[in-house]
Amino acid sequence: MRTSRNLRMAALIATAAAALAACSTPPSGGTAPKAGSAGTSLTADLASYPASLDPGLQYDTDSYSVYRNIFDQLLRRDPKTNKIVPGLATSWTQKDPKTWVFTLRSGVKFSDGTPLTAADAAFSIQRILDPKFASQQNANFSAVASATGSGNTLTITTKYPSPTLLSYLTTLSVVPKADVQKVGNAAFNLHPIGSGPYTFVSSIPGSQVVLKRNDSWWGPKPQIKQVTFRAVPSGASRVADLKSGKADIADSMTPDSATQLTGSSGLKVLSAPTERVSYLAFNTIKGGATNDPKVRQAISMAIDYKSLITNLEQGYAKPVNSVLTPLAEGYPTGLPGYTYDQAKAKSLIQQAGAKGKTIVMATSPTYDPQIVQAIQADIQDIGLKVSIQNTDQATYLKKVQSPTHDWGSIRFGQWSCSCLDADGVAYPLFHTGTIWSSYSNPQFDALVDKARQTIAPATRTQLYAQAYGILNKDLPGIGLFQIDAIYGASAKLEWTPDAQQSFFVADMKLAS
Amino acid sequence: MRAGAAAAVCRYLGIRLGQALIALFGVTTAVFFALRLSGDPAQLLAPQGASQADIAALRHQLGLDAPVWRQYLDYLGNLLHGDLGYSYVQHEPALTLITQRIPYTVNLALAALVLSAVLGVGAGMVMALNRGRWPERVLTPLVLVGQAMPAFWTGILLILVFSVTFNLLPSTGFNGFDSLILPAVTLASLSAATIARMTRGAVLEQLDRDYIRTARSKGAGTARLVTRHLARNISIPILTVLALEVANLLGGSVVTELIFAWPGIGQLTVQSVDGRDFPLIQAIVLLAAVVYIAVNFVTDIAYAVLDPRVTTTGKAAGP
Repeated sequence: MRTSRNLRMAALIATAAAALAACSTPPSGGTAPKAGSAGTSLTADLASYPASLDPGLQYDTDSYSVYRNIFDQLLRRDPKTNKIVPGLATSWTQKDPKTWVFTLRSGVKFSDGTPLTAADAAFSIQRILDPKFASQQNANFSAVASATGSGNTLTITTKYPSPTLLSYLTTLSVVPKADVQKVGNAAFNLHPIGSGPYTFVSSIPGSQVVLKRNDSWWGPKPQIKQVTFRAVPSGASRVADLKSGKADIADSMTPDSATQLTGSSGLKVLSAPTERVSYLAFNTIKGGATNDPKVRQAISMAIDYKSLITNLEQGYAKPVNSVLTPLAEGYPTGLPGYTYDQAKAKSLIQQAGAKGKTIVMATSPTYDPQIVQAIQADIQDIGLKVSIQNTDQATYLKKVQSPTHDWGSIRFGQWSCSCLDADGVAYPLFHTGTIWSSYSNPQFDALVDKARQTIAPATRTQLYAQAYGILNKDLPGIGLFQIDAIYGASAKLEWTPDAQQSFFVADMKLAS
Repeated sequence: MRAGAAAAVCRYLGIRLGQALIALFGVTTAVFFALRLSGDPAQLLAPQGASQADIAALRHQLGLDAPVWRQYLDYLGNLLHGDLGYSYVQHEPALTLITQRIPYTVNLALAALVLSAVLGVGAGMVMALNRGRWPERVLTPLVLVGQAMPAFWTGILLILVFSVTFNLLPSTGFNGFDSLILPAVTLASLSAATIARMTRGAVLEQLDRDYIRTARSKGAGTARLVTRHLARNISIPILTVLALEVANLLGGSVVTELIFAWPGIGQLTVQSVDGRDFPLIQAIVLLAAVVYIAVNFVTDIAYAVLDPRVTTTGKAAGP
């Protein structure tokens, strides 16, 4: 899932709001006219308008939050354990390392009355793989060689044994083949029809999408009858919407606005650790001082991890022992993690002969400047000079992903593969030759290559333990912390957010 | 004599139209090439774990792997057929996306324009006619505050007071007339201040003139003085400022629309620039250029209508 991009303006507005919050009095619980909570309808503020309502196209957080309520997914994850559980598919078996067979729930209907069959599921994958469709999810399903459906049986073959296939199938929403082919992709995007717990009612492009409960859905009847998703890009405005009772829940809260909400009567903060990890990556090829593993080790000891979590993230983050979160399949539980030891870091810099050297830190406005500056200060404390080069996200990507590796020495980033798997981090970030990697280690490459075509979970975990062991010794990157998803909500809302940032309205309840 | 004047008007219009077309061509070309220096949309669109091959495939689908001159010729060709392109991110024609949003921005900008014209001209007149007395002393700091407060601050302040504290008006979104008030006031505050200062200056300049003294000596009251004598003479400078403010209002709406979650062109602009949605950015810039040029054009004509002393050969007397 791609991050919803923060604008510098939003930060500015948030600061202004925080300054003003001191002189505003929160309204008392009952007096506010609750636009959203009349009966059982819910109003949700998202950071932006969904880029697409067709689940085959975009999969940014805001699009995901809306359209996943309209469609059923082939597989789901248990919100508590993150284990893969039945969705539309009730059972599945692996015939050989490259062939998977799924049995679909019978009696499921799309909201236009047509029955949902395996042919619809196969079609949902095929269209994502069709280059002409230009789906941004194409890369997630690139392991798939073919998908065929007959009756209730869906068969997927992969080009090579793919342990992450099931993971990506939890993101697959099933669309009605007949309707998509009849109305065309463009019309379907404007008026999507699915089999999920809610159906599309209306939209004002750029402003809001209204969904209503699908009373013929196969699952347990949701309590909320109607939901209005509103696009409110300014964080401060989302806070104001919650305080004035215009919204029942708001997504993409910052730790600062969360702290502000905790003091308001009638409101609460909901949060859950996600698979998104904050990390530092080094240029070990053309990074200057950071080509030296000693310097990288020194930097890993220079950072005050605890302070980042408690002071900057206000506790809405958890420590990690590698560039991965404990939620991921293959997380190396045995690794000792990083230590904060300024004295040792200083002596390592002395030993490496790097004292006083300047390293360039590349970043973009997408990433919290406070964290970037805190890290800069930490590294300067051990005797290096850090010059921050801040460019917009597009330029940043162009620079960092360039095969010439001349983007600087160190960068701060956030990573989420939306696959909850060790492979989704190790491979794209550190494997030789991938676009994000400025690191090359044949031993590490061999382990990751082997793991990504191994199905047996125990063997994979072992391989990743070794691979991540190498990363923690060689330090081409440092995991800083696991990021929480933060929501502001009315105290009347009962809901537990999960690691996938699933915004399933069917799981929400509003007390009257 | 009349035929000669008509020919002069036609020639004038022809020249202005030609100039407008050249300006539009310049804008589209500059934007097209500047965008292609600013980063790769395929990198932004691809999922985080995408490989080099995935990104190359995406670039090919978007037609971004063709030589830039080729892309440019294709773009111009399509433009001449009225095809503004297809949004990379939203998978809809750019023209559709823009036309959906225009009514909201026009609504907001018009409301703000009317508000700022009424408040600005009114305050300016009162200040000039009461020079040195209490109305001026009360209004001057207000105008200064209006001039100094940026929209993102005014907007949040208004939301906190009128939505959060007193619960009188909706904080965000578009939902009828109620929801127009706060964004319109926010957007108008800056322009109103500018217009007020301008009006005050223009009126003061006129007050020393002979015709005003004559009118006064004939016993004209303040109301008659303003409506019959002053209004026409200060209309030209005010019109000039208003025309400039239209552009400012359209520009200022970016910030205001973000704060109030107003589904207009401003929000669309930010989204499209953020995602390097080339076709959409190009279309929006083209639209903005057309509006700007059209407003200038209409203003020039309005000069001639309001003040016969202004000739159509473009020697307008505006400051």
